[in-house]
Amino acid sequence: MKPTLSLLSRSAWKGPFFVKFPGLRQAQETKAPIKTQARSCTILPAFIGLKFLVHNGKDYVPVTITEEMIGHKLGEFSPTRKKFTFRKTKNK
Amino acid sequence: MPVLLLGVSLPDKRLVRVALTYFYGIGHKTAQQLCSKFSIHKTCKISDLSESQLNAITLELTNMTLESDLRRQVKNNILHHRAIGDYKGKRHAMGYPVRGQRTRTNAKTARKLNGKWLRKDFTT
Repeated sequence: MKPTLSLLSRSAWKGPFFVKFPGLRQAQETKAPIKTQARSCTILPAFIGLKFLVHNGKDYVPVTITEEMIGHKLGEFSPTRKKFTFRKTKNK
Repeated sequence: MPVLLLGVSLPDKRLVRVALTYFYGIGHKTAQQLCSKFSIHKTCKISDLSESQLNAITLELTNMTLESDLRRQVKNNILHHRAIGDYKGKRHAMGYPVRGQRTRTNAKTARKLNGKWLRKDFTT
């Protein structure tokens, strides 16, 4: 019905975009979080159960990967914007 | 006499391509595609359809996801985003536009549609 949806998606022969994490196997054993700035990295089935610290431009947000997150990007789980709130001024 | 098709009543006097859009999940484009598939002319009304044509349309409609099935599909897609807690799910829950539209002004549709039933589901 909608040809554009399949036409505008990424080519299949390229496979998903991901970044190599050198300490991946170690992290699976020790369950240490992986600190990363690669927000555009696709979540692969190999990442399940891992903990990531995903950069949001200011600090690193902890993200635990579950099975349903496969196919999404890491950056989707670390919001880059803060909700606006009024703050009372200190020196009045 | 309105004609009942799969639980939706289509008024007799309407053109076929208009009446088909009474279904949730069929717009003008899909309605026209259906009409051309069964070679129904543009000014044909529901009352002018023959029994066999009606049956053919009903058969075609049963193979499509429409009405409550489609609504459930849409709802489940949103609940998926909400459950894994990604950006889209958060925007839905807050009642803001999901695809990067501006929120300084407007965003009326998102305020109207997004997140109302979500918030109800999640607070109770």
